[in-house]
Amino acid sequence: MKFKDYYETLGVARDASPDDIKRAYRKLARKYHPDVSKAADAEVRFKEIGEAGEVLRDPEKRAAYDALGTRRDQERADGRAPGEDFQPPPGWDAGYEFSGRGDGADGGFGSQDHSDFFEALFGRAARAQGARRTSARMPGQDHHAKVLVDLEDAFRGAQRSISLRMPALDEQGHGVLKERTLDVNIPKGIREGQHLRLAGQGGPGLGDGAPAGDLFLEIAFNPHRLYRVDGRDIYLDLPLAPWEAALGASVSAPTPDGEVELTIPPGSAAGRKLRLKGRGIPSNSAASPAGDLYVVLTIALPLADTAAAKQAYQAFATACDFNPRAALQGGTP
Amino acid sequence: MSHFAIDIVEEDVQLTLVELCRASRAPEGQVHTWVVEGVLVPEGATPAEWRFHGAALRRARLAATLTRELEINTPGVALALDLIEEIESLKAALRRLR
Repeated sequence: MKFKDYYETLGVARDASPDDIKRAYRKLARKYHPDVSKAADAEVRFKEIGEAGEVLRDPEKRAAYDALGTRRDQERADGRAPGEDFQPPPGWDAGYEFSGRGDGADGGFGSQDHSDFFEALFGRAARAQGARRTSARMPGQDHHAKVLVDLEDAFRGAQRSISLRMPALDEQGHGVLKERTLDVNIPKGIREGQHLRLAGQGGPGLGDGAPAGDLFLEIAFNPHRLYRVDGRDIYLDLPLAPWEAALGASVSAPTPDGEVELTIPPGSAAGRKLRLKGRGIPSNSAASPAGDLYVVLTIALPLADTAAAKQAYQAFATACDFNPRAALQGGTP
Repeated sequence: MSHFAIDIVEEDVQLTLVELCRASRAPEGQVHTWVVEGVLVPEGATPAEWRFHGAALRRARLAATLTRELEINTPGVALALDLIEEIESLKAALRRLR
């Protein structure tokens, strides 16, 4: 296990005042909050920051952590370099009372996602407190997870096997993460950002006959090679040859439902949208009609890489009295 | 096969105050405040009669995490939710244009 430098995580000095720590923590928490930040590593960073904040903003935990750090420095200075591997010495926490800050049974800040390091130092103490509080009969917690499905699943419905790491209690009453696989029916018509509620699949109830909580799954789509999704509408870019766009054509286009034959009207410009009504994500209730499929035309130019092609382009230029920059005229003094 | 009921929260589900609090891990008093401030708009006159549309779950969860993890007060949460939704609609528009 690696020793975590929580001061480094928050970018503060070891002798930083509580106010400095609070300020640094808040600033970083805002910056990396996964609901706000779009940084790729936001979730990971946010958890680290949360953990560092949980320790350094709690005077008792900070004092215990500091004592551990001092001891470690001392060992280093004595030439007993502990290296990368770290194990808390026995009895290291004697005399400290970890009062906890929302990391009890009600699943406070990231409490299910602490690092091994944090768990080794503060996990058991925090949990023992949580367990004491939940002796009464109470329904299980609702759990939440995100799942990625394919856009095609929303068109046809699908059965997907979903692996989740869910907090659970082991025989000793310690919180552990258990791998759990669920077979879930993805209903036809599901859209990105919607939630599935799986009744009774959340945390177990505590006490006799207490009902289990529910599991909520937030749906997101895997990025698709061809389609973009906006709510229930689907967008497809369809490349055309210049003559197809100019003269009109009948071309086949893929849709999540299978190929369709499209009539391209003559004189179609790039960017023109053809709407296929009702061919977006299908309806699954009266309240949500089927979406539309938008085919966005783009124009692809053939290369002038043979003598014949060059000649054809030249003939094209001669035949059309065309100035693509007509609208720019008068733009320079 | 699934042997449990599956509902699409945003389509099929209305939540009571107790259900919303449990699903979003927000204390009841906090949800009250959010209703008063217009962060959540349930149907029904009294808290016991309140029914929240399924879409309120996401807002309540966001509000709860912002409150807990960033220590933002209620008007701040209301503002953040509105801005987050605006950013999402702008991003959707950007995807359409891309």
